[in-house]
Amino acid sequence: MIEEIKNSNWKLRKGRIIAAKQMTDAEKWFDIKLDDGELDHEPGQFVQVELYGIGEAPISVCSSPTKRGSFELTVRAAGRLTKAMHALDAGDYVGIRGPFGKPFPVRVMVGNDLLFVAGGLGIAPLRSLIHYVMDNRKDFGKVDILLGCRTPHDMLFGSEISTWQKRLDVNFLCTVDRGAPDWHGNVGLITTLIPGVTIQPERTFAVVVGPPIMYKFVIAELLKKNVPERQIVVSLERHMKCGMGKCGHCQIDHPKNYYCCKDGPTFTYDEVKDAKKL
Amino acid sequence: MNYHILKKDELDGFIKKLSNSMKVVAPVAKDAGNFAFQEVSGASEIALKYIPTILPPKKYFMPPREKMLDFDISGPQPVDKAVLDAPELAVFGVHTCDLAGIQCLNMVFSERPRDYNYLRRKEKIFLIGMECGDYCDDHASCALVNSHMPSGGYDLFFTDLGDRFIVHVNTHKAEEIVEEMGLAKAASADMTALEKIREHKRGAFRNEIGVDPRKLPEMFDKGAKSKVWEDVGHRCVACGNCTNVCPTCYCFDMADTINLDMKTGHRDRTWDSCQFETFAAVAGGENFREERADRQRHRYSRKFKFPLDRFYRFFCTGCGRCTRTCMADISLKDTLKTLAKETV
Amino acid sequence: MNNAPITATKPKVAFFDFACCEGCQLQVANLGEPLLDILGAIDVVEFREVMSEKWDKDYDVAIIEGSITDHHAEERIKKIRARSKVLIAYGACAATGGVNGMKNSFQLDEIRQYVYGKDFKFFDSAKTRPIHQVVKVDYFVNGCPIYPPELVEVLKCALRGLPYTVPDNPVCSECKLNENVCMYDKGVACLGPWTKAGCNSWCVNNGNICYGCRGEVKNPAKNAANDVIGKYNLSSDLIQNKFEMYNKCKEGDTNGKK
Repeated sequence: MIEEIKNSNWKLRKGRIIAAKQMTDAEKWFDIKLDDGELDHEPGQFVQVELYGIGEAPISVCSSPTKRGSFELTVRAAGRLTKAMHALDAGDYVGIRGPFGKPFPVRVMVGNDLLFVAGGLGIAPLRSLIHYVMDNRKDFGKVDILLGCRTPHDMLFGSEISTWQKRLDVNFLCTVDRGAPDWHGNVGLITTLIPGVTIQPERTFAVVVGPPIMYKFVIAELLKKNVPERQIVVSLERHMKCGMGKCGHCQIDHPKNYYCCKDGPTFTYDEVKDAKKL
Repeated sequence: MNYHILKKDELDGFIKKLSNSMKVVAPVAKDAGNFAFQEVSGASEIALKYIPTILPPKKYFMPPREKMLDFDISGPQPVDKAVLDAPELAVFGVHTCDLAGIQCLNMVFSERPRDYNYLRRKEKIFLIGMECGDYCDDHASCALVNSHMPSGGYDLFFTDLGDRFIVHVNTHKAEEIVEEMGLAKAASADMTALEKIREHKRGAFRNEIGVDPRKLPEMFDKGAKSKVWEDVGHRCVACGNCTNVCPTCYCFDMADTINLDMKTGHRDRTWDSCQFETFAAVAGGENFREERADRQRHRYSRKFKFPLDRFYRFFCTGCGRCTRTCMADISLKDTLKTLAKETV
Repeated sequence: MNNAPITATKPKVAFFDFACCEGCQLQVANLGEPLLDILGAIDVVEFREVMSEKWDKDYDVAIIEGSITDHHAEERIKKIRARSKVLIAYGACAATGGVNGMKNSFQLDEIRQYVYGKDFKFFDSAKTRPIHQVVKVDYFVNGCPIYPPELVEVLKCALRGLPYTVPDNPVCSECKLNENVCMYDKGVACLGPWTKAGCNSWCVNNGNICYGCRGEVKNPAKNAANDVIGKYNLSSDLIQNKFEMYNKCKEGDTNGKK
């Protein structure tokens, strides 16, 4: 009977950190290889990272499944576990459960235009989808990427982003809430970028990931542009503790009482618009 | 129909025989009119008439603290081992409300992805139900959710017929035990006596809030912004008593403990409560159910609305424990009645 | 027992006491087996209760018992803080002010006169403060006395550089899991519904009420006191009076900042 338990969703796979890099003061990036094979995730899913003796935290996978051999996490030092995780480096081991959660609807989005809107750390889960789309670029229509962060200093994946800016098959715009002397780009909230983007709303999927406060304003702008509610996709933040729709922590205040870990974290706006908080 | 008879003066022998092959627990009287399931070695320790115990028998199915994993991080790679403590156990004297509670938990933990820690422990538990002839007290609302009558979920089920119990044998394992103990088959007079008790119950147990249970989910939709939540929110102590004593609450937390050698340790699952301040908070600081009113509404929704969509049944068994234990006198029946007044 | 070998790298730990009954030190001394494990992991360099040696270098961990009740103590704790990498306030007196806080219910001179008589002016005295109202505290172990298993957990956190948060749920949350009969059912007023958990409802498990020694939860249910009083027919100032015993210093809470 122990066999079943060993192989259940509680099983901790051993993940070896093969590379790590401090990205900003608050965020660190990790490249992790599982001892027993591929993670086999889909864009938008998350894993539970276990630091033995400290505990677990849910972290979005920020790399695309099109990347083989290892997967990547971007971790903000926000809680007890994530702060401790910042002390880890290449060679260290973590426990991994997952992948968990409903991915972004990549197959439904095929053949449509895509508008990605990321705020702050929201770029992490969205990056798994952006990379997936870029690696399967011919399957999708026009691609716009809008990125917002507090200051130029907080921008994640800076060098990678500069390559997006150069690509002709994506339109990339970014803005910062507060500028800096060496910043020559846009200054202002991310919502200010949306009116300038040309879209055909009926054939556009808008994928929005950011802090709770961002959703309200970004979604209002998207609705103004007539993007259908079922084509606005969000990824919600909750404290998923088990990843199996049981422990209760991530349940959303919504008439349908979704479990964010199982019914989400990705939802269409249509599904979650009645939630007390996004 | 597989009914047998156990004379009351034979109960002690029954318990003793049972305890030869497994640990036997049963309701035992504690101070101030309280009861608790505890290990017993004979019938004299058992409270045959009791109001629902402080904690429901879920504590045996899903222990308040359960070790899931041992680990060792002394080597270059972490090593871990799944552990399961699932002793052979007989739980005697479980009321129909608590049997319903276990049925609810069974559904939750057998839903995929399955929780084998729960399921394997459950397989080792022999359940013996006990019928309530009348209400235990005013806090119960078992008729509302139709859990005052037995509807499966047990191995054996006892109904008190005065000088004897009539025992319904519901599983093969139970049949073997009954055969081994040599319990006589029930006679037609026994069956008539049982039917008389059921007839009495059909009259004595009446829908306690006077609202068609089919209307309950709708009441929660309409009453999402009801003042009743504000009221219970103002009073709530956020102590988690209501969820800890609930036979169907199953929210949990995971916690690691490291030993003083700083190399070995274990991972535990512990009961948690949606009523605690930080239950729905994330590390970044956002708390998605900061207000007690929201948390209380959430608790009620998880009894009368959400499980209907997911499991096609109420997750309230009407046991009345949450009302009995509430420090601030928040009553489930009163909350539902107030909500019904506003919405039906 | 699997003690790590004693090496020069073991953290230097010192115990200090201020105004207190030293009961928490006694709890440490009485830890039994875990104490030997702890002693395997640390190097105790000062502990007045059990040793006379003094240490003249810095401390990795300073473990402080007792409240700050006079100006001499204030200077002394500041010096200890300056020499310590990590500072743990343990026991109600150090962590929340504890029973020493009852002093703050009186005018200072009034209480000095009561204690020291007519020459009271010669005796230094100040308002009672828990440690964090004077210097920065890294870890708290609440309770009168401390609950030993919690101290062990906090020590492990301190040695690993992990934060420890004192549980902020009411004691009831643990008491219920221990399946104790509620004190209110027995007709006795108990401070469990408003007091921070973390003690595994130690007192109630042993037939006592909760005296609130771990301090009030951050967000107590203000109206609930009346409901509880109403439900159990108790007198209204009963709960408030009980709270004064351990929670008087709460008013001065500024977490080390002036």
